[in-house]
Amino acid sequence: MIKFDHVSFSYNKRSVLRDVSFLIDSSERVAILGGSGEGKTTILKLILGLLRPDSGSISIDGEDITGKTESELRDVRMKFSIVFQEGALFDSLNVKENVAFCLREYTNLSEEGIDRRVRELLRVVGVENAIDLMPDELSGGMHRRVAIARSLAAFEPAMFLYDEPTSGLDPVNADIICKLIADLSRDRRGFIIVTHKVYDAMRVADRFIFLKEGAVVLDGDKGMLKQATVPELSIFMSELNGNCEGEARCSK
Amino acid sequence: MTLKRLIDNLQDYYMLAFRGLTGIFRRPFYLSDAIEQMDYAGAGSFVIIVLVALFIGMALSLQLSAEFSRLGLRMYTGKAVGITIIREVGPVMAALVFTGRVGAGMASELGSMVLGHQVDSLRVFGVDPVKKLVTPRIMSSLIMLPALTIIGDALSIFGAYYIVVFVSNQSGHVYWRAIRDVLIFENIIAGSVKPFIFGFLIASISCYSGLTTRGGATGLRQSTTSAVVLSIISIIISDFALTRILLYILGFSV
Ligand SMILES: Nc1ncnc2c1ncn2[C@@H]1O[C@H](COP(=O)(O)OP(=O)(O)OP(=O)(O)O)[C@@H](O)[C@H]1O
Ligand SMILES: [Mg+2]
Repeated sequence: MIKFDHVSFSYNKRSVLRDVSFLIDSSERVAILGGSGEGKTTILKLILGLLRPDSGSISIDGEDITGKTESELRDVRMKFSIVFQEGALFDSLNVKENVAFCLREYTNLSEEGIDRRVRELLRVVGVENAIDLMPDELSGGMHRRVAIARSLAAFEPAMFLYDEPTSGLDPVNADIICKLIADLSRDRRGFIIVTHKVYDAMRVADRFIFLKEGAVVLDGDKGMLKQATVPELSIFMSELNGNCEGEARCSK
Repeated sequence: MTLKRLIDNLQDYYMLAFRGLTGIFRRPFYLSDAIEQMDYAGAGSFVIIVLVALFIGMALSLQLSAEFSRLGLRMYTGKAVGITIIREVGPVMAALVFTGRVGAGMASELGSMVLGHQVDSLRVFGVDPVKKLVTPRIMSSLIMLPALTIIGDALSIFGAYYIVVFVSNQSGHVYWRAIRDVLIFENIIAGSVKPFIFGFLIASISCYSGLTTRGGATGLRQSTTSAVVLSIISIIISDFALTRILLYILGFSV
């Protein structure tokens, strides 16, 4: 369970989040929507304790993480698995070693065992034949999928965090990743997906949080999202109707 | 305001340097990372150190034997060359070369890892970036810079030998005896304490610059530059301080 209690955050005095509060259960499938630079990635980093709020408190499963030291945060972070916006694969390691990273760190698997597990994970995300490539030899979609495989290898996370997993991908690849996200959440393990693609969010999530100017302006289910009257949100929603409305706005 | 920032940064640097150094003795040990760093820093710098040392030794002995010949003190060339190289030029030269090649590399590599969220990924996986990234680099510098310094000293002395014997036409026998006289305990200590300190400074400063990178490609440029500039300044200043201290401890009167 993730609880944000009146959280504010700023980078060098430039305010990013203002008084954000919400409660997310770890079995929920949540999408955080919002324009570029509205603080979506910042929220994920706050959840993991990579950043600290200026005011307010964040608790994970009832434990306040705001005052915790780096080593105390370790256990909190292990409850999550995150796929960063850029994938963030270690570029000095090949695909296999990237996926094997946590296996080597936390398990005593033999070389054979690691190889088998890595292949298994890569098969899940459908890039098994990229096993010997280096990260910079991968396409954007493959990169993202390997990053998902790597985050799966970590431990059994209670919740997945995805930062724009489908942005910059063609519809086919975006589709593959959405299916993967939905598949992975089948055993009641929830996720938070951060995105500005409403279409993808609608396909996988059942709760939507819309951020505008660093504040939560909408928090609800699909019905509420469709009926919302926030002007920015309706531009976002226009993506669903073949962009007609959006184009109309642009041409105005 | 800026003074406060400076003090904050210094404090962060001390913490990082301290934790990076003590990480050598704390679990978990990332030995394979340290070995990879040693290969990059040590083996990779070998050729450039050889070249630089050889030519510095030759230039130095040219200068000294030209001047000493005029004064009729040619037989002192070997001694002067030996002392200069072992106590002063060798360690500083190796450290400067090491800064340019390895320090800059560390800062830009860690900087791009920060920008690409790779350092955040490590933290999320519960891996301490200081232990995983900084400690192996400090360790490799602590081992490799002294080793490179010794190799560099030896080559400088050989370079000087070539000039003394084949250009200045002095006796090789006299040269080697002078060098042997220079290789006493005090001089060797004076020359071999320095590279450990320099290596630690270069690695810790460069890692600090790299890990505090902000703001894209220009940020990366800035952190690489400041790694090199700050390392060079701290090498030169600490060299002076160390020389002063070591001469005092070893009982030389100035
Ligand atoms: N390291 C940083 N230093 C200073 N400002 C930052 C930093 N990272 C982000 N910001 C600023 O904070 C704001 C929120 O950033 P954030 O990355 O959370 O946005 P986002 O909603 O994820 O955007 P996008 O959809 O483009 O990924 C942005 O305006 C950005 O300029
Ligand atoms: Mg973002």
